[in-house]
Amino acid sequence: MIGAIAGFESRALLRSAQTWVIAAVLAIVFAYLFLQALETYLEAQPQLALQDHPTGLSGFLAARYLAPLVMVFALIAPLLAMRSFSDEYRQHTLALWQSSPVSMTGLVVGKFLGVAAVILLLVAIAGLIPAFMRFYTALDFGVLATSVLGLALASLMFTAIGLFFSSITKHAIIAVAASVVLLALLWLPGSASAGNSVLMNVLAAFAIPTHLAGFFQGYISTASIAYFVIVTVLFICLTIIRLDALRHAA
Amino acid sequence: MTDKHGDCYIALRRRYWPQWVSEMIESLHYTQCKFYLALKSSTLHMINNVNDLLIADSLSRRLSVDAGVYDISIKLQRGDILGLLGLNGAGKSTTLRLLTGTLVPDSGDVIISGHSMRDAPLQARQKIGYLPDQPPLYNDMRVASYLAFCAKLRRVSKATLQSNIETVLDECDLQSVRRARIGQLSKGFRQRVGLAQALVHKPDVLLLDEPSNGLDPNQMQGMRNIIAHAGEKQAVIFSTHLLNEAQAVCNRIAVVHKGRLIHEARVTGNNSQLEDLFSGLTHDQPTAATA
Repeated sequence: MIGAIAGFESRALLRSAQTWVIAAVLAIVFAYLFLQALETYLEAQPQLALQDHPTGLSGFLAARYLAPLVMVFALIAPLLAMRSFSDEYRQHTLALWQSSPVSMTGLVVGKFLGVAAVILLLVAIAGLIPAFMRFYTALDFGVLATSVLGLALASLMFTAIGLFFSSITKHAIIAVAASVVLLALLWLPGSASAGNSVLMNVLAAFAIPTHLAGFFQGYISTASIAYFVIVTVLFICLTIIRLDALRHAA
Repeated sequence: MTDKHGDCYIALRRRYWPQWVSEMIESLHYTQCKFYLALKSSTLHMINNVNDLLIADSLSRRLSVDAGVYDISIKLQRGDILGLLGLNGAGKSTTLRLLTGTLVPDSGDVIISGHSMRDAPLQARQKIGYLPDQPPLYNDMRVASYLAFCAKLRRVSKATLQSNIETVLDECDLQSVRRARIGQLSKGFRQRVGLAQALVHKPDVLLLDEPSNGLDPNQMQGMRNIIAHAGEKQAVIFSTHLLNEAQAVCNRIAVVHKGRLIHEARVTGNNSQLEDLFSGLTHDQPTAATA
């Protein structure tokens, strides 16, 4: 049943013109960031060559092309997830799900997987672009793979957050705005360079950049994976609770 | 069935207990479950006649200080078409939402084909076809693929999926628009697609919330024919605020007023008592909710 719901959600997204507009804009962003990173690398190559351990093209692309894409996906994922439930409210179709033999858990997980499939497809395309450089030079696929993993985990987390806010309001744009505000709050403590205050250290432990940095340097931390998985599951659970509460609401 | 907090407590404590204590608790727990199930099935057996497809047992749901439905009890068998009659805001939609499980009652239970909505909601909902006051339609889908999706959602097997869709397209006279996008259909067709999604899995109980609302007389007659046909094989409840519509289609009529079931009777040749009662109803105290 979850598979059927996921398929339904993915197909609904692919039928929507908005998805294709987002995909077209993303293609331009991918191309721009990639070419920009490549050009910067070519310009910086003479200086890099003088270093003891110079950064290779893979490391450079991970830091200058894939890492900035996290910000892009922080906007794209809620945009794709925003209609999941808010559209159900607006079209009065939630009654179809509520009166069918589908548990709220199945519904939310199915919808999450449906949106996640489209997001992961976009992440895969973003990850494939640097891989084409293999035809011209040697690449460190380890760094690229961990970077794509980090990008995928972060995007799944953004999707879960977008899904949750979509379940709260029937106005899709409010869902996106709320998701972006929350993501900004989760982002800022990690980017702030405030010294050693205890509060900042605690906040930084929950910040997204803290857990993403390692992925783009080529290593995987289980704590960081756990962070993304836990936040994703947390927001999926909150969405289930929210939808279940609707049966009790007038 | 069991107290979740109790289970959690046992799970937490279990690791500190000797093996024999854990085994004893397991055994007690098992016995308790068996006893509960035996008691439950015997209770259900007592109240659930084999022919009863729907039993609503003292359903109550308070929505606000002066709105809600109270103590609604209904029993339906195959072939029953019950018209839920009432003024706007009498509590018809709320009652239907309670029967479909889209709204949880404060007290009471609904049993659909032997499955309790409280204890086995998924099994109970599988036996229900529901058309809300606004048909749950996806405008960008085509009629046939929408019905196929609804059938899958209600766990119709692959073997019978296509035949179910063809049957319901024929019954609801939708063959001519089977490839049309739902968003391009007229109000009458949209209502029929809504009815088709409620019928596609051949449910035991069909619940329709003002299905002929906004239809022209011809479409209304078509809708009545479909409901009458469905009522031959299923139990049907449909809500309406029009007495003549209820009389035209139903073999039973229940009047809901201010959230309470105030009258229930079989439709006979002489319904003067019902007509007097219904014409005497007023909106003087708006109490119940339209959900």
